[in-house]
Amino acid sequence: MARVTLKNVTKSFGAVEVIKGVNLEVDDGEFCVFVGPSGCGKSTLLRIISGLEDTTSGSIEIDGVDVSGEEPSKRGIAMVFQSYALYPHLTVRENIGFGLSLAKLPKAEIKAKVDAAAEKLQLTDYLDRKPKALSGGQRQRVAIGRAIVRDPKVFLFDEPLSNLDAALRSQMRIELTDLHAELGATMIYVTHDQVEAMTMADKIVVLNAGKIEQVGSPMELYNHPVSPFVAGFIGSPKMNLLEGDVAKGMGCSTYGVRPEHLEITEDGIWGGKVRHLERLGADTVVYLDTKEAGSVVVRTVGDLAVKVGDVLRVRPMAGKEHKF
Amino acid sequence: MSRRQLWTGIAALCVSLFIFVVPFVFILFMAVKDKRAASKLEFSWPTEWHLWANLIEVVEARNYMLLLAYFNSTVITVGAVSLIVIFSAMVGYILQRRHSRWNSLIWAGVMAGLMVPPAVVPTIWVLQNLGLFKTIHGMVLIQTAYGLSFAILLFRSFISTIPRDLDEAAIIDGAKPLQIFFRVILPLLKPATVTIIVVQSIAIFNDFTNPLYYLPGKENVTVQLTLFNFQSQFVSQLNLLFMNILLITIPPLIVYIFFNRQIVAGMTSGAVKG
Repeated sequence: MARVTLKNVTKSFGAVEVIKGVNLEVDDGEFCVFVGPSGCGKSTLLRIISGLEDTTSGSIEIDGVDVSGEEPSKRGIAMVFQSYALYPHLTVRENIGFGLSLAKLPKAEIKAKVDAAAEKLQLTDYLDRKPKALSGGQRQRVAIGRAIVRDPKVFLFDEPLSNLDAALRSQMRIELTDLHAELGATMIYVTHDQVEAMTMADKIVVLNAGKIEQVGSPMELYNHPVSPFVAGFIGSPKMNLLEGDVAKGMGCSTYGVRPEHLEITEDGIWGGKVRHLERLGADTVVYLDTKEAGSVVVRTVGDLAVKVGDVLRVRPMAGKEHKF
Repeated sequence: MSRRQLWTGIAALCVSLFIFVVPFVFILFMAVKDKRAASKLEFSWPTEWHLWANLIEVVEARNYMLLLAYFNSTVITVGAVSLIVIFSAMVGYILQRRHSRWNSLIWAGVMAGLMVPPAVVPTIWVLQNLGLFKTIHGMVLIQTAYGLSFAILLFRSFISTIPRDLDEAAIIDGAKPLQIFFRVILPLLKPATVTIIVVQSIAIFNDFTNPLYYLPGKENVTVQLTLFNFQSQFVSQLNLLFMNILLITIPPLIVYIFFNRQIVAGMTSGAVKG
């Protein structure tokens, strides 16, 4: 069992409070993703769990044991950094085995563990290379290997895929998900990319300005966002969030409808000229300048016969709108 | 390369060849001549080669003083350079990584070490009171103190190019602060370390004034001091004096020839980001 529990965790840097009272429960074996815009405190929260930063107040429990004042190495965690943070002067084998050699394990045991991790990550052929002779994806795998050999209760990932190109990123997403299924360990993953959050998470924690906005499964957040912030953050393209007279007419202060929940019909309630078109192949994203609701984004079928300057009318699908 | 650049390049090479190589060749020629030929002090091809005989005579002079000098200079150089590298890397690391209100004070101290010229008489007074005057280890400490500031400056700017993530990865891996320094940071400082080793070892090995002031005594002689001691004795045997010069010039020359590439690399790395 490796539950991670945060109780009223706060963190201040000088007079600036970056984490404002976070309570969170991450279950054993769960893949939990912290997501939020830059500066929302998600990385700081992860560093607090790892022990690289102290809490200002509050406590962290791993496995029911309070580890708040404990050294990072005693917490049973392993961390993968955004920059990979491989030791450039050591070979892949030494990089992966570094923690074990510090713990003064017998050489044969280190070798066995490193070989097993390398096999799992397809790094066996690269064990004697230095990190600079590896590609980005391989370096990422070495960083993960270094985490695996420590056999941690909790894996922490700090934006591990943001330095990779798009194709490699989607491949690594799948590999990480597979790894999670194989190891069954608790994983906490920080990203600013909502696609990564949606595709990998069992549980998403949306953070905003040092506070938790909402916690839930990907589809829960997609279908039932509790605030305009979550609604706007989860889903791509972004949800249309309308304020002012339009929202008032609908009986709320912010009216939200996702681009994919707007249908193009003759008798739509909002109408206007097409300002911009994005052809994605499978679907088309239409940017409409409507008279009634201002700028609205619509996601529709791929081969829609429309061009910039055409006039379209759209209507929100019944029951798919969000009122805040 | 245009024709003009080619010719100016060749001209510059000729001038530097004249300035740097001619004196060296002069030393070499003088060192192999016999006593009479050398006394003329001419830049001429030696008629007879007495390389080996002159060498033996210089080495044996004053009860093998030159060998003792080599030993002393080597001990001082190795000792001082080792201390400089270890301590300045440590100080540079802490100054760069750990921010405290003492930093500016420590930094002012480091800068003072670079800017304030050392005073001889008070230093001797301190050494006498500490019982370090006229001792080899006293000399090692003095050379360390003189070399520390520059090395700290170089190491600090170099360490700022090493990402902090590496320190943190090592912490997660369970490394203690000293282990982080010795197993992760110090190996990565190699380019700066090589620069420090070469520059400082040549400076210390070639130092004349500091051993003259702080290390008097026959048994404490260093290589540069042998020149001073032999000058009066060999005034009528210039061939031996030049042989002595040749012998004590060779070690630094070898170091320069082999390490000049690394010196430049270490000097310029960390120059952009500081």
